[in-house]
Amino acid sequence: MTHRSFSPARIWTLATATVTQLVRMKILAFLLVFCVIVVAAGFAFPVMNPEQQLKLLKDVSFGALQVFSIVIGIVATALLLPRDLEDRTLYTILAKPVPRYEYLLGKLLGVLLLIGAGLVIMDAAFSVILWLREKLLLSQMIAALNAQRPEDIAQLEGIVAKQGLTWNLHLGVLAIFLKASVVSALALMISCLASSTLFTVVITFCIVIIGHGQGLLREYFLQGKMTAVLEQSLSALLAILTPDLGVFDVVENVIQGEVVTWAATQVMLGTAAMYLVGYCVVSHLLFVEKEL
Amino acid sequence: MKRKLQAIAVLLLFGLIKLPVEEAATRQLRAARLLSPPLDLSVRENIGQMSFAAALGGLRSLIASITYLQAYQAWENIDWAKVDSLFQLTTTLQPRYANYWDEAAWQMAYNAASSYLNNQELNSAVRGKLYHDHIDRGIAILRDGLRVLPDEPRLWNGLAEIYERRQIDPRKSAECYLQLLRVTKNPRYGRFAAYQLALTSDPAQWQRAYDLLKSAYDQKQRLPTLINTLKSLEERLEIPANQRIPDALVPIGQNQNQAGPLR
Repeated sequence: MTHRSFSPARIWTLATATVTQLVRMKILAFLLVFCVIVVAAGFAFPVMNPEQQLKLLKDVSFGALQVFSIVIGIVATALLLPRDLEDRTLYTILAKPVPRYEYLLGKLLGVLLLIGAGLVIMDAAFSVILWLREKLLLSQMIAALNAQRPEDIAQLEGIVAKQGLTWNLHLGVLAIFLKASVVSALALMISCLASSTLFTVVITFCIVIIGHGQGLLREYFLQGKMTAVLEQSLSALLAILTPDLGVFDVVENVIQGEVVTWAATQVMLGTAAMYLVGYCVVSHLLFVEKEL
Repeated sequence: MKRKLQAIAVLLLFGLIKLPVEEAATRQLRAARLLSPPLDLSVRENIGQMSFAAALGGLRSLIASITYLQAYQAWENIDWAKVDSLFQLTTTLQPRYANYWDEAAWQMAYNAASSYLNNQELNSAVRGKLYHDHIDRGIAILRDGLRVLPDEPRLWNGLAEIYERRQIDPRKSAECYLQLLRVTKNPRYGRFAAYQLALTSDPAQWQRAYDLLKSAYDQKQRLPTLINTLKSLEERLEIPANQRIPDALVPIGQNQNQAGPLR
């Protein structure tokens, strides 16, 4: 049997093994925390108007989704290489005819599978709570206003549905996943360079924070808003080295009812793919020579 | 070492290539109204470093919800200055959410204004001044909101009602109802504008009101307030008898099942 230089099957095997490894680290406990947050947000502040109650539930849930996906993306990825070195698993894998880039791709895919599955579960839990809350609020409004005519009930349904469950919200979750994917690829690249997990976590967090304001830095650099040479050079360097994570921040407007079009989805998918390819290539160049 | 240098070179090259792509993606998503305009750096002073970082980090909607809840709490404590500043912050964080503008204006023009007007601890001159100041503040908030959302019916309606009920300026109220008619195409707002124009002391405005109401009448609208206002305008404008509507004045009474007279 000939040995292929690139095998999706080998990458898949490494990815599933990574998922198992992360599940054993009890990393999925955050799902439980998320569910508690969503239920609490869903039934808190009953004195506010229904529209605001539903908006608050979405704000809190999407906020929690973002925080969890980014934290898991950074921490899980940062843990992988040091853990494999510590367990000696890395030597066993690389002793076989597995190219290093396949090992990296497998690890990254494993983290992305875990984040993706976690987001799907959290999205499902959030959707159920939002749907229940929407129905409960509607029945409360109908009872409070003693609405009986079908046109009155339809009007109330329209008011509540504006902030209720829509398919569009799931595209907001997709944007969160894409952002977490970019952050994971970034963490993988830094972990190929780093000597400790802590270094990877701290540096990636710093880049994530800068990455959210990268749009401002880029505008300052491209539009020449800064006059001082040092400021201009620094902003240019940061804009070049960090990803623009703000591109994926569509959730806030999705919550308000803006529709994510296919063109917008393509833009986000394309941007995420660009970062993933770029960071994977750099990760490979750093890892291929790394002394283990 | 050679690979490390290659990695740095690739990272820098990739960084340069990605800049225009990021710029185009941001522009496209902003045009689709999916990305908000960049956050004003002055907001940092008001919400603190951590909240500013969180708002910058994609949690802007959540931070806006928190400041909204703080405003709600300030309202319960009847701290109107704090209500105003927190709503200002909330609308700065999420300027495209009409509900925040509407509620901020309602707090100022109705709740704060009435609260000061009924405050017996203040002398009457101060009460009157604060009452009018807060109505003006409510109007200013809605005008700011309309600069961001010029076609938002809720904001035009709020403004029309403040001019109608709080500032008693029928001319301005009518202009807002006409904007509402433009945005929603709902004929009732044309009638509302006409009722307000009929309240002015300017015969030119009465003529505008008459034209609007006559057009609604010709489209088979027969609401009591429409007929009564039209008859009043016919008198004031001295419309020839043969052009007047044949209907008699309609007595307006409160029906138990409706909130007010049919307009």
